[in-house]
Amino acid sequence: MTYRIVHKTTYKYKYPVSVGNHVACLTPRSLPHHRCLRNELHISPSPATRNDRLDYFGNQLSFFTVQEPHKRLVVEARSEVRIDDPRPWPKDSPPWEEAVRSLPEEQSAEFLEAYQFIFESPRIRPGPPFASYAAQSFTPRRPLAEALLDLTARLHGDFRFDSKATNVRTPPEEVFRKRRGVCQDFAHLQIACLRSLNLAARYVSGYLRSYRASGRPRLVGSDVSHAWVSVYCPGAGWLDVDPTNNLVPSQNHVTLAWGRDYGDVSPLRGVILGGRDHTLKVAVDVEPIDA
Amino acid sequence: MIPDLLQIPLRDPTVYDELSADGVTPRPHWAGFVESLQAIGSEELAKRWERAERRIRENGVTYNIYGDPLGAKRPWRIDLLPLLISAEEWRSIEAGIIQRARLLNLLLEDLYGSQRLLADGCLPAALLFANPEFLRPLAGVRVPRQTYLHLLAVDLARSPDGNWWVIADRTQAPSGAGYALENRTIVGDALPDLFRIANVQRLAPFFRAQRDALINLAGCDNPRIVLLTPGPFNETYFEHSYLARYLGFTLVEGADLTVRERRVYLKTVEGLQQVDVILRRVDDSFCDPLELRADSFLGVAGLVEAIAAGNVKVANALGSGLIETAAIMPFLPGLSRHLLGESLKLTSVATWWCGQDYELDWVLHHLDGVVIKPAFPSRGMEPVFGAALGKAGKEQLANQLRSRPYEYVAQEQVALSSAPVWDSGHLYSRSVVLRTYVLNTGTAWTAMPGGLVRVAGSDGPVVSMQQGGHSKDAWVLWDGPIDTFSMLPPRNQPIELRGANPDLPSRAADNLFWLGRYAERSENIARLLRALITRVRRAGEAELGCLVRLHSCFDSRHSKLPKKRRPTAMELEQELISLMSDAGRPDSLASNLAEVYRVGGTVRERLSADMTRLIGQLTEAVHVEEYMLFVEYSAVLTGCLELLSAFSGMERENITRGSGWLFMSLGRRLERAMYSARQLREITTPLAESEWPLLEYLLEVADSAMTYRSRYFTTLQPVAVLDVLMADETNPRSLDFQLNHLADLYQKLPRHMPDDLRTMRHAAALLRSFDLRAIHYPLPGAAEPEGNSDERSRLARSLRELEYLLPSWSNNLSNTYFSHARTFPITIGE
Repeated sequence: MTYRIVHKTTYKYKYPVSVGNHVACLTPRSLPHHRCLRNELHISPSPATRNDRLDYFGNQLSFFTVQEPHKRLVVEARSEVRIDDPRPWPKDSPPWEEAVRSLPEEQSAEFLEAYQFIFESPRIRPGPPFASYAAQSFTPRRPLAEALLDLTARLHGDFRFDSKATNVRTPPEEVFRKRRGVCQDFAHLQIACLRSLNLAARYVSGYLRSYRASGRPRLVGSDVSHAWVSVYCPGAGWLDVDPTNNLVPSQNHVTLAWGRDYGDVSPLRGVILGGRDHTLKVAVDVEPIDA
Repeated sequence: MIPDLLQIPLRDPTVYDELSADGVTPRPHWAGFVESLQAIGSEELAKRWERAERRIRENGVTYNIYGDPLGAKRPWRIDLLPLLISAEEWRSIEAGIIQRARLLNLLLEDLYGSQRLLADGCLPAALLFANPEFLRPLAGVRVPRQTYLHLLAVDLARSPDGNWWVIADRTQAPSGAGYALENRTIVGDALPDLFRIANVQRLAPFFRAQRDALINLAGCDNPRIVLLTPGPFNETYFEHSYLARYLGFTLVEGADLTVRERRVYLKTVEGLQQVDVILRRVDDSFCDPLELRADSFLGVAGLVEAIAAGNVKVANALGSGLIETAAIMPFLPGLSRHLLGESLKLTSVATWWCGQDYELDWVLHHLDGVVIKPAFPSRGMEPVFGAALGKAGKEQLANQLRSRPYEYVAQEQVALSSAPVWDSGHLYSRSVVLRTYVLNTGTAWTAMPGGLVRVAGSDGPVVSMQQGGHSKDAWVLWDGPIDTFSMLPPRNQPIELRGANPDLPSRAADNLFWLGRYAERSENIARLLRALITRVRRAGEAELGCLVRLHSCFDSRHSKLPKKRRPTAMELEQELISLMSDAGRPDSLASNLAEVYRVGGTVRERLSADMTRLIGQLTEAVHVEEYMLFVEYSAVLTGCLELLSAFSGMERENITRGSGWLFMSLGRRLERAMYSARQLREITTPLAESEWPLLEYLLEVADSAMTYRSRYFTTLQPVAVLDVLMADETNPRSLDFQLNHLADLYQKLPRHMPDDLRTMRHAAALLRSFDLRAIHYPLPGAAEPEGNSDERSRLARSLRELEYLLPSWSNNLSNTYFSHARTFPITIGE
């Protein structure tokens, strides 16, 4: 399956911005079953400088500076990604306590890479309430993969999707209380649960192809960025789960980047001089170009 | 022995005493010092110390303490007596701290590079991964010559057995070296003979080495080096400006810098200038709101990008705060063997990082004997003394430790050594900690001989400047030749406002401009007040009317005088006292002098030491005591005016004519033009005969009575006074003089606006176009002639227009030169 993705971000400012330094995280990652075939960034007004660099987690970041005064900034990322049949979900997995025990002890590159994701990060502070919620799924000696699916299903059942209830800064504690939020909130919350048990969990930012009722045209541009969770399971590697939709990501999820939480992989941020009040519009379109 | 000098009460026999092993005989390296001290005698010492303390106040040496009512004005507290360190002892300290600096630098290099230490199991990975000071955007970024640590501070404490132990390392932006330098200047001046005889190692060569090291770090010719400060509200701001001036670097705040084309630029009045090296006093994560803390106002957006591109060097390297934690201490002996192949020379105080099972278990069983601290200090937890907790408290602490063990360290409490402290003729014993410094020159490491001694507040064991302790100088008594190199310019040498570095940041230009304005405004207020205060008590009814008119020149929105009727003499008197000393009134003399002090503090590194001292004196210049008689106020004002005149004299005579001076003078001329126009307008309003004394007051306020008398031998005439105060181009207090100078000064500014220059020239020309001979004032008693009032009202209108024009002209100046320094960045998309 190959997708053509257009991700367009528009900032409108009340007053002219004299200088804007920005960083975009809008280049899909390439993985064994997931190839980024094409990626272009169109920026208007055109930036005086642009430089790409890999971050600590291996995501590609694009830094650019717009130096001409502007009241509108448009960043449009156009990508093509081919997704082959992903790895099947593991039939067997070790008891989850095994992962908790082995992570701090092994010093192989793979384990060290995973180990960093068990700790607190700027937007996710693990704590006892998350641990006891997770413990109902992570019962003693239960295989990690099985417990993970159970936790994902419970989150999906207990929490309601509500785009009005939270904002980009809402902490997991508040989402946990309100029992509602959006994909970013559910991902943060599930990570908080997993890290509270000392499991390694990371935040994945990406896109989701939307299904439409047959006979109705797909709504172009109505989609948004998506987010889900990836958990390290010794022996099986990283396992992705999508708590918003209660499913295991396969051919309908396009992976953009991953990090400890949203802050590591926010698609576009910047520091501007001038501008003052601003409005933000994001449009994402994920279109399959073959079957 | 003079008993009153070596009486040390509260001596604790269980701790190491720096001065004496038995409480009676000084240790050998103290003997000569104590003897000389006794020879001077406590009376003379008291006198010298009084002078020294005055100097500290006047130099404006401060350490801001959060939540302190004195706020930014809290004076730095120094003890007269230095801590003496023998040459032999210093050699072993020096070797120990230099080894430690090499080790910590290698540790940073590994953690931000290959991370082999984690793979090899030499350091638990949790120490890195759980550490909020591990700045991932800096991982893998090349650091020139592996200079992660440019400067390292190591806090040392001496235990009862006489050994020095490391109690803390400061790795990201160590503070205190500048205070150590100031302490040396003050104490060295108070005890010059003792200093000379004791053959004390000098500090200046260390700072010269630091300057050279930063120049080398730049790797280019004539590098532009800036010292990045969080700003005047930071507790050690005094030190930042002091060091910037001493080392000859430009002092900047984050808003003074901008990143373009992956390079860092300084916003100056002459345009953008590229910066090669940033010596920073801003904490790691605050340095770049784009890639690090998005909520930081102290940094420069894009700095990490510029560093990654190799276009700017930062000292200490961003991310160095990673190892500013006691949690690494238990691993240092092993790391030293692994990385250096040497055993660690200076031991750290016993520390247990709870992220390991065995250590956690040990700590949980020995809570009584340890202090629990955060492993990652930015988490902001106060140290907890286990012994001070009850059963429930201990249980709670234990749970805390078990739930997230890697976030805590436990440390043994050190019984700090005590040293003599001199206070009003007596010696007391206080706990001390010695902060030492090691510098990376790029090819070698060198230690500052001595350091900053911090003294506990009372008899308590906690040593913290933030909690109001004070400090001491540290003398290394050398047994070899001394390098007497000095970096300080002679005291009376003219100071360039631009500093050794030719840049004038827009923000500094802004502050110099306002320093000129506030100084001049203060002078005007003081002159008006003195003219009023000397007269109000003995004024008759008619004269009181004149005084009220003179008071109207304040244009005060905060006036306490009745508006509907003429105030009584008593009411005017109360109003004048309030204008003089009420710090709550923005238009009072006290408030304006406070502004001079505040703004002066922000450009301290651009002023001469004498000017800074004068500013310090000004803050106390209008201090009105309860018991003071009203008539004494005029003497107070005269004293204040003398200081202000001295200040403006130095401004004229001791500052080179660079951009900085231009802005300061523009501020002064602009302010004088504004109030001069206002005062002249009083003369253009018809004056009744009874109001003619006002002319005399105005001449006095403008310090032009002599000029008038030498030119007009007659009694006071309004037109003649107008001539002297408005049109006389040779009178430095006339309005004409101000406008012409404003235009001339403005023309010299880089990038000046032709329109604004024209406006000022035009205003001056307009004023000159008035034919004063055509203005006829009715003679006393005579009827007012027809038609003549026209020329006068035209002049009144022009003056009024000028009063509107000048502030808007000032705004244009701000917009051209200062405004971009005042815009704060906004973070979006977070």
